[in-house]
Amino acid sequence: MKRLYYDIEKCMACKTCEIACCVGHSLSKDIMKAIFEEPLSLPRIKVKEKGQKPHPMSCRHCDEPRCVMACMTGCLSKDKKTSLVLIDKNRCVGCWMCVMVCPYAAIRPDQKTKIPVRCDMCKDLDMPQCVKSCPTQAIIWCEEEELAKK
Amino acid sequence: MKQIIIIGNSAAGIAAVESIRNKDSDCRITVISDEDYTAYCRCVLSYYLAGDVGEDRLVYRGQDFYKNNNVDLILGKKVVRVDPKKNQIVLEDKQKLDYDTLVIATGSSAKLPELKGIQKRGVFGLRTVKDVKEILGLLPVAKTACVLGGGLIGLKAGYALKKRGIDIKIIVKSKQILSQVLDKTAADIIQGHLGANGLEILTGLDAAELLGNGELKAVKLDSGKVIGTEIVIIGKGVAPNIGLIKDTAVKAGEGIIVDKFLKTSVENIYACGDCAQTYDFVLEKYQVNALWPNAVEQGCLAGRNICQENSEYLGSIGMNSVEFFGLPVVSMGIAREEAGMEVLSRLDANNKIYKKVILKDNCLKGVILLNRIENSGIYLELIRHKADISSVKNELLNDTFNYAKIMDLLGKDETIYLSSAGGTHV
Ligand SMILES: Cc1cc2nc3c(=O)[nH]c(=O)nc-3n(C[C@H](O)[C@H](O)[C@H](O)COP(=O)(O)OP(=O)(O)OC[C@H]3O[C@@H](n4cnc5c(N)ncnc54)[C@H](O)[C@@H]3O)c2cc1C
Repeated sequence: MKRLYYDIEKCMACKTCEIACCVGHSLSKDIMKAIFEEPLSLPRIKVKEKGQKPHPMSCRHCDEPRCVMACMTGCLSKDKKTSLVLIDKNRCVGCWMCVMVCPYAAIRPDQKTKIPVRCDMCKDLDMPQCVKSCPTQAIIWCEEEELAKK
Repeated sequence: MKQIIIIGNSAAGIAAVESIRNKDSDCRITVISDEDYTAYCRCVLSYYLAGDVGEDRLVYRGQDFYKNNNVDLILGKKVVRVDPKKNQIVLEDKQKLDYDTLVIATGSSAKLPELKGIQKRGVFGLRTVKDVKEILGLLPVAKTACVLGGGLIGLKAGYALKKRGIDIKIIVKSKQILSQVLDKTAADIIQGHLGANGLEILTGLDAAELLGNGELKAVKLDSGKVIGTEIVIIGKGVAPNIGLIKDTAVKAGEGIIVDKFLKTSVENIYACGDCAQTYDFVLEKYQVNALWPNAVEQGCLAGRNICQENSEYLGSIGMNSVEFFGLPVVSMGIAREEAGMEVLSRLDANNKIYKKVILKDNCLKGVILLNRIENSGIYLELIRHKADISSVKNELLNDTFNYAKIMDLLGKDETIYLSSAGGTHV
């Protein structure tokens, strides 16, 4: 499967990815309208810091996802075809068990919707919006085997 | 053809089915449950009781699951005995079934205390769909309900019935609620929050007797006080369902004892979930950690090992995530420090924010995160890896603490961070 990789040297912590992510997941897909939406669309990707170095974080869609194992409603599943971790929002009750067990803290509780916020790889769009928007090409979206060539 | 029997049709049993079918589509799998439903979300029962979700939301795996996975499902029948010598199980209707490999995933039941009057109508555990339906049936005639026990199930029951407009009194023997999973500081904040939302909590008191003529009328407390009530819900912990292996070669303490491959003392019998006593990697001893994520992981590994995979189980851990009236809390490992341990904590009582970590020799042993749970998974990762946290000690409680700060401490390869300057793992 295609995964997200981050070139730490190129990332400048401008957080354009965060904004593109919010807009991409908003109802209107328009930044000027998205900021007035209720509930507000939150970023699935977050740029964190380690010392001075920025590290973007988002769901890795793990091969053996701990979140899926911990999910007590069965609303999380690892899709065999796409290898993505999918959420059936209708079945989620906001227990935050997935938040508790994510080794990367890449899933956050959204207190407004009571549904966790996590990367869905923009599966309904042509490519992840963070990748598309990154001004320094610090976010790489590819198969693991292609990575060596990058 | 190899016949696998799985006793139990819930978190652990279903996980076992799925992991077996990932490897082996041929073997025969029979799943047996003494309940009448296909697999349901036991932890969602309190939301159903509250009316937050409808019955349809309880479905964990529907009929098609059993068909798609080629599983023979036997519902509504209790297994009364396991006979390891004959590789047989005995059902309550005397029917005998042969197995090559047996998985015991019978879970646990609500522990009922020895209390005068406990058999009266109106007294319930909160464990099964049946329990909830019976409680719901009483709601039209109930004004007050008493909950015995201030643990997670007790508080969830209280929350649920409060949402149904019933007056709630939670009677807690110890000096604080959630004494198994939180320290007093966190518990007191939550208790205040529950109180502000209309749950009356009486600590330091216990029920002495349940009064009524067949039908429950009141609870008499050990203080002598009598509280009129139509419903009592018992939340005094759970007991593993292990009656079926009594007097057999399957070794048990509080639960069925399993090794790191989830195997019992009998070669072709595995156990997983609430009925199993597993190695707790924080307490470093064998323990029943009756929790959903533990049950799923154990079921999954048992299934793999049945298919000869030799997957080792790191062990179980006590960990909980709950939210009451918008106040979330996560706790893992131990909640109270012991001699020789170090505590770091940060309290902002006005905003109901509290973070605490317990360290031993610079390794995390326990964490409480109240109203700031975003980073909780990182702490779990540090506990799992027994990571030395000396280098990040001064940052541990910051809200900006994140995965990048700990990745060097875990001793595993980091693959997603690259450096155009060369190499991975920056
Ligand atoms: C209201 C409530 C809320 C909860 N909330 C949480 C939570 O927030 N987080 C968390 O981690 N955990 C929670 N739990 C605990 C969680 O539900 C259990 O840890 C989990 O269900 C254990 O799964 P299991 O498969 O081991 O056993 P169980 O779910 O107990 O299932 C046991 C199965 O075995 C069958 N069975 C038992 N004995 C026999 C027999 N003799 N013959 C035939 N069949 C038998 C039963 O019918 C059932 O199918 C909650 C539990 C309850 C009741």
